[in-house]
Amino acid sequence: MQNEQLILGFETSCDETAIALMKGDDLLINKISSQVEIHEKFGGVVPEVASRAHAEMIRNLFHSSINECGIDIGEIDIVASTDGPGLSGSLVVGYNFAKSVAWALQKPFYAVDHMVGHLSAPLIEHPNMDPPFLSLLVSGGHTQIVFVEEWGKYNLLGSTIDDAAGEAFDKLSRFCGFGFPGGPAIQKISEGGDPDKVNLPRPKTSNKFDYSFSGLKTAAVYFLQGLTDDDKLLKKDFAASYQEAIVDSLMNIYEEAVNETGVTNLSGGGGVMANTRLREKIQTFAEKNDKNLYLPSPKLSTDNAAMICVAAKNNLTTNEMNIEDIRLSSVIS
Amino acid sequence: MYKLAISTSGEYVSAAIFEDKLLSSFVSKTNRGSTGILLNQINELFDKTKANRKDLSALYLDVGPGYYTGLRIGLSVSQGLGAVLGIPIIPVNGLDALAFAAHTSHRKICSLIDIKRSEFAYCEYMPVPGGVTRESDPQVISVERLEIKLSDDVDKKLLVGNWDLIENKKILTDSNTKLAEPRFVTAENIYNVGEKIKDYPNFNKINLEYMREPDVTLSKDSLSGDVKLYD
Ligand SMILES: [Zn+2]
Repeated sequence: MQNEQLILGFETSCDETAIALMKGDDLLINKISSQVEIHEKFGGVVPEVASRAHAEMIRNLFHSSINECGIDIGEIDIVASTDGPGLSGSLVVGYNFAKSVAWALQKPFYAVDHMVGHLSAPLIEHPNMDPPFLSLLVSGGHTQIVFVEEWGKYNLLGSTIDDAAGEAFDKLSRFCGFGFPGGPAIQKISEGGDPDKVNLPRPKTSNKFDYSFSGLKTAAVYFLQGLTDDDKLLKKDFAASYQEAIVDSLMNIYEEAVNETGVTNLSGGGGVMANTRLREKIQTFAEKNDKNLYLPSPKLSTDNAAMICVAAKNNLTTNEMNIEDIRLSSVIS
Repeated sequence: MYKLAISTSGEYVSAAIFEDKLLSSFVSKTNRGSTGILLNQINELFDKTKANRKDLSALYLDVGPGYYTGLRIGLSVSQGLGAVLGIPIIPVNGLDALAFAAHTSHRKICSLIDIKRSEFAYCEYMPVPGGVTRESDPQVISVERLEIKLSDDVDKKLLVGNWDLIENKKILTDSNTKLAEPRFVTAENIYNVGEKIKDYPNFNKINLEYMREPDVTLSKDSLSGDVKLYD
């Protein structure tokens, strides 16, 4: 029975080398080898650096995963991996490693769309989550509102027309020297800050469910350039105001989409969904409006391989062994 | 017991299976640099020879120099197979493999591998009984520098490798330089050198021969500012 099978999952679409093992509803291992320290000095993810790091790390990560959960490699029933979208040089490492593990084990291999992985991540902690639901997927690479009518039927209601929400955090953080990645850095600095201190825009676009963040970033930069020594603005107040502007923008449009579709099940994912302020706001909104909220915990919101396992477990896969290459676009469009 | 050799460092993907001698091999030109076909081709080799994948006892891997993504595909596939089957991976330098394939010549051998951006990896060898010895360390060389190097050197030499990828063919008309095969690294070339290597590293420590530091130019659309904020 598929549900009790031991599933090995890989995820290397950006800067995290991730491996997970899942048996039934139990997540046995969820390892993420982050490259944050490597990319920190560049203020962003450098694709070639990321690819080299994946290639160096994946084998040891695989071994330590197997050893830590004390299984025999031969017990693995299914191998799954992200096949895209993402940084192609990074994807090929996990994808080819995973595929050759499956081949050597003579076990089935399944490819999982990265975005479908994020969509199914809540299933790890909420196996009872059922479509239809409306998911807010936000990270450094994507900002999307996806209506999941049923598994396999994904309707992209809106996405960003310029920067992703995570990029909006990263770019301003780089400008201010707050650190990388920008989201966690700004969240930390904003602690105790006044989110209403600085009035920043909540950008809208012509398609009501689409996002735009480059205007907000520009407005923030202009605002900072106009500051004088006499303004005595506190870092934490500015950071809190900027974070609030991003979170508000995300929620305003998402709430409109919830109201228009009339769904009762809300969900989300992606690295920005680990942001405490965003989680508070979506929680409050769900409670006020009597909606069910299925959020993955912060650790399962950011890129991870457990979501690849759970997608494979639920047959949410896109192709099999005979497909040769990674994909550049998502099945969600 | 079977041995498998892999080369994915360039325009051609190649794999070969051996049982003391060559049983079967393939070489195919990649489509737009895609090397995802590797594992399917390996699967075909095993089907064709009816070899059992559990009887694989060693892997010989072309660790470059060459195209970065291709190198990582070869490494990832080798690491995946090696990890499951518990077999060693013997890393072989592609420049060495090219030179070794030409070792019956009496000339100096110049080995050349395309690494894109108008640069090549380059190394010189002298033939010795049963093989070759390196006369220099592998280096990155521009097309312009290569032209000077070839014409300044009055020795009779053999140029092997990716010389056909040099766009300005005028460079190759030097009278002391003979253009020769092999023109790219194959899995068989890799096996022939790998088989002679007795002392190989633990497979956790396989280094690819990138030859260059990664390009770290980020698209910085917002320069870091002199921000007047207070703690
Ligand atoms: Zn993601």
